[in-house]
Amino acid sequence: MSEVAVFFLHGLAYAGLLFLVSAGLTLVFGMMNVLNFAHAAMYMLGAYFSFTLLHVTGQFWLCLIVCPLLLFIIGALVERFLLRRVHIYGHLHELLLTFGLAYIITELVKLIWGNYPLAVNIGGFLGTTVQLFGIIYPVYRIFIFVCAIVVGTAMALVLFQTRLGIILRAAVNDSEMVNALGFNVPLVFTGVFAFGAALSGLAGVIAGPLLTTYPGMAHEILIDAFVVIVVGGFGSLGGAVVASLLIGELQSFGVLLFPKLSLALVYMLMAAVLIIKPSGLFGEKQ
Amino acid sequence: MISQKKVPYLVIAALFAIGIVMPFFIKKYHLNMLTEIILFALYAVSYNLLLGYAGLLSFGHAMFFGMGAFTVAVSLIHIPGLSMWNAVLMAVMMTTVVGFITGGFLLRHKGAYFALLTLAFNSLFYAVATKWHKITGGDDGLSITRPDLNLGFTTVKMADLTNFYYVTLLVIGAAIVFCWYFTKTAMGQTVLLMRENEERMKFLGYNTNISRLILFTFTGALAGLAGAFYTLHFQFVSQSAISVDMTTTVLLMTFVGGTGTFWGPILGAFVYIILQNYLSDITDRWPLVMGLIFVVMVLVIPGGLSQIILSIRSLLPGKRNTGKPIAAAAEESSS
Repeated sequence: MSEVAVFFLHGLAYAGLLFLVSAGLTLVFGMMNVLNFAHAAMYMLGAYFSFTLLHVTGQFWLCLIVCPLLLFIIGALVERFLLRRVHIYGHLHELLLTFGLAYIITELVKLIWGNYPLAVNIGGFLGTTVQLFGIIYPVYRIFIFVCAIVVGTAMALVLFQTRLGIILRAAVNDSEMVNALGFNVPLVFTGVFAFGAALSGLAGVIAGPLLTTYPGMAHEILIDAFVVIVVGGFGSLGGAVVASLLIGELQSFGVLLFPKLSLALVYMLMAAVLIIKPSGLFGEKQ
Repeated sequence: MISQKKVPYLVIAALFAIGIVMPFFIKKYHLNMLTEIILFALYAVSYNLLLGYAGLLSFGHAMFFGMGAFTVAVSLIHIPGLSMWNAVLMAVMMTTVVGFITGGFLLRHKGAYFALLTLAFNSLFYAVATKWHKITGGDDGLSITRPDLNLGFTTVKMADLTNFYYVTLLVIGAAIVFCWYFTKTAMGQTVLLMRENEERMKFLGYNTNISRLILFTFTGALAGLAGAFYTLHFQFVSQSAISVDMTTTVLLMTFVGGTGTFWGPILGAFVYIILQNYLSDITDRWPLVMGLIFVVMVLVIPGGLSQIILSIRSLLPGKRNTGKPIAAAAEESSS
C-alpha cells in the first residue's frame, strides 16, 4: 500500500514539473501561435545557470529568483531581435527559427558545461525528508508540486481575473484591433514570450536537483511537454493541468507496473487521444 | 539552339556521366563520401517534397529513414541468402505501409500541430528501436555485410566500394530523377497548388486529403529507400538512424540547400556532408557551426543556397529578375 502511495507522490512531483514546462509552452503557443522548440532548451539553460549559481553562492532560493530573471531577459531578446524578424514569413519559419535556436543552445551548453551529467545537491530544509501519512518522503518533491500549484493559480488569476489578462486574451483573437485600441501588442507579445522563457527557466532550476542536469535533458522533457499539450489541447491551460497529472502518474505507475512498456505508454495515451478527440481533451476545434 | 525543355534532361545526363567517371579520379575516402552524399541527397529531396512542395514541416522524417535502415539490417540478418534487392524492396514496402498508416493519423493536423505530432511519433519509433533489443540491437546496433549482387550471368562483389557506389548511383539517382518527374506530373502540381490555395483546390473537386496522404506515403517510401542504402553503405545501423537527430540532419540539409527549388536539397546534402567531414576534423563543435548557419539562413536567406545562386544568375545579362518570391521563381526556372 505504501509503495503505491510513494509512486503516486512521485507521479505528482513529475506532473508538477511537467506542468511548469508545458504551461509556458502552451501559453506562448496559445497567445502567439508560436510552437517554441527552444522552450526546452531554455529550461536546460535554467538548470545549468542554477548549477553554476548554486556552485558559487550555495543559495538555492537565489537560483529560484535569478535564473528565471535571466531567462526572462534572454526570452525578451530572442523575441524582439530574432522571432519578430521572421514573423512575416509565417509560422513555419518561426518554428524553424526556434528549432535552430534549440540546436545552438544545446551545442553551447555542451561547449560550456561539457557533455556529461552534473549533480545538483541542495542542502537545507528542501534536502531533507518528511514523515507523511506514515511514509518517509523527500520534501523536495512536495516542494515541486506546491510550486506548480502556485504558478498555475497565479497564471489563471492573471489571465482570467485581471485587466492584463483581458488584453492578452483579446490580443490572441484579434491583435490588430487590440493594437488599434491603443495597446502595444508587440510589447505584449514580447512580454508573453519572455514570461514563457522565465517559466521554463524556473522549471529548469526546479528540475536540476530532481533529474540530472545533462545536455540531453532538454530533448527528454520536450517530448513529454509536447505530449502534454497534445493531450490537454493546444493552448489550453486547464488542459495542461489535467494532462500533466495524467502523464506524470502514467509515467510513474508505468515504471511500476509495466517496466518494459513504460516509454511507450505515454505515446499510446497520445495516440488514443488523437484517435478519439484529435483536438485534445480540452482543446477547441481547430 | 537547345530548347528550354530539354535542359533538365541534359543536366541529368551530365550529372550521371560525371557520377560514372568519378571513381577514376577520386580516392576511396572521397568515393565513400560521395556515396553518402548521394543517399542523403535522396533523403533530402524526399523531405523537400514535403516541406518545399507541400508546405508540411515534418520532424518525423527520420522514422522512415530509420525504418528502412532497420528493415534492411534485420531482414539480412534473419533471412539467410536474402538478395540485396529483396532486402531493399522489403524496406521500401515496409516504409510505404508505415507511411500510409501514420500519415492517416498525422495528416489530420496542419502546421505546427503536424510538426509536433510527427516529432512525437518519431520519438515513439525511437523508443521502440531502443527498447526492442532482441530485434534492433538496442544501443549496440546491428552489423551486416553487404550481400553480393547476383545479376544472373555474373555476380558483382559488393565488398568493393566502387561497385557499391555504382549501384547507389544508379538506384538512388533513378529515384531522384523519378522525384523530379513526379513534381512535373499532375499529381505533383496538385500538391504544389494545394500549398498555395487549398480551399480553391477543394472547390475544383480535388480530394486534397488523399493527395496529401499519397505524397506523405511516397516521401516516406523514398526516405526508406535512402535509409536502406544508408545501412548497406555503412554496413551498420544503430538507433541513431531513427533518432530526431537524423531529422535535424535532413532539415539542415534541405534548408541550407534551399526549399524553393528541386535541386536545392541535393546541393544542401553535398554541402552538409562536405562540411561535416572537414569541419569535424577542425573542431568537435561543428554542429554548432551548422546550427549558426541554419539560423542565419532562416533569418536572412530563407531560400537557402539555391536562392543565392538564383539571385546571382538573375544578375547575369540576358536573365531578367522577376522579383517573385523564391518558390515561385524557382518553379519557373526549373520548368
